[in-house]
Order: sequence, then structure tokens, then C-alpha cells
Amino acid sequence: MKFTNRQFGELEFEDNHVVMFPEGLIGFERCRKFLIVDDETTEPFRWLVSVEDGGLSFPLLDPALLLPGYATDTADGAGKTVFVVATLRAAGGNSTVNLRSPIVIDNGARTARQVILDDEGLPLQFPLGPPSPAPAGR
Amino acid sequence: MLILARKAEEEIRIGDNIVVKILGIHNGQVKIGIDAPRDTRVVRGELYREIQQANVEASRADRDAAARAAAGLKRPT
Repeated sequence: MKFTNRQFGELEFEDNHVVMFPEGLIGFERCRKFLIVDDETTEPFRWLVSVEDGGLSFPLLDPALLLPGYATDTADGAGKTVFVVATLRAAGGNSTVNLRSPIVIDNGARTARQVILDDEGLPLQFPLGPPSPAPAGR
Repeated sequence: MLILARKAEEEIRIGDNIVVKILGIHNGQVKIGIDAPRDTRVVRGELYREIQQANVEASRADRDAAARAAAGLKRPT
């Protein structure tokens, strides 16, 4: 099947690549079907891309890159993948990731949920560190 | 919206699996106990709205911003 996304243009996918969010994402409850898109130009950021809304995509990060041991109990053993959702601010502002409500994907069932962790100490805006310098020529 | 008056120790049942119990009322604050299935999200309204807002902001990202942030991540500190 094919669809068009604002950022990626036309994307083609097989049904078994779809990750189903039965409850949608928080604030985006109507969007249930997503793809995880690997993007060479933004790696290690991947994208959670809505199949149903061509304007909708979220940058994801593997939390192990930031915090080894994060939410290991949430992954509940084998077969689950945890991603955190990143908020990327334009040059000057610090980008952050949301550690309080990660995306947990059940790899076998191809279903996922945005969970809300009980630990109130986990920030919704965990800084990713300083932005890279402005591109050369500016 | 259904409006019910309840006293301390009284319950409300929602469907077959959810129980909301008024544990106590002190100084204008109501303490509520909630029993719900694991897969039912129970969360303070403020937190839900904050996460909603975080998702809305996250959805505005574009690939250029992600590439810049990625370069920042890879830079040795």
C-alpha cells in the first residue's frame, strides 16, 4: 500500500509493517496505524509516521543511547521495544525527549502504546544536550 | 456528564472492572482510590494534558531539525 507523507513523500509499505496503536497516541487518539521509518539523514532519530494522517510524524530515539537501564521493566522482558518521543526545537533551543511517556511496541503482535510511567521524577522534557553549531557559511 | 454525590468510603463502579472509591475528604482535598485493569490509563488530568502538549510539539519536528539534533548527539562531549 502507498500513502504520502509531508516529510517523506510517497511511502510504500506492507500490511505487516504497520504498528497498531489501539488507543492512538495521547492527543492523537484518532491515528492508530503507524510505520517506524529509519531515516539515514537523521539517524539515530527514527520516525513514527502516521499512515492515516499524511502530515503527522514524530521523531523517536532509542532511550538506551541516552540512559542505559531506562524503563527496562517497562519492556517486560523479550519482544518489546521502547522508544522515547523527541521534541526538536529550532536552532538555539534545546531539544528534549519525553521520558515520562515512552512508546512501547510489542514486536510480535505489532501493537504499541504510549504508556505513562508511574515515576514522577521522570521528566517530560529531558534535555538532549546543546544543539550542533549552525551550518558553515552562516 | 453524570453527577453523583458521594460520602467518604462510598464507591462508584464504572463498567465491570473499574471502582472509584472516595477514601477521605480533608481540607478541600478529596482522596480517591481507583481500581482499574492494568491496560486502563489512570492519570491526573494535568499530566495527560502536558503529555498531549509534548506530543503536539514533537509532531512539529522536521528532518532538518532532526539532522541537526543528531549531529549534536554524536558530537563528543
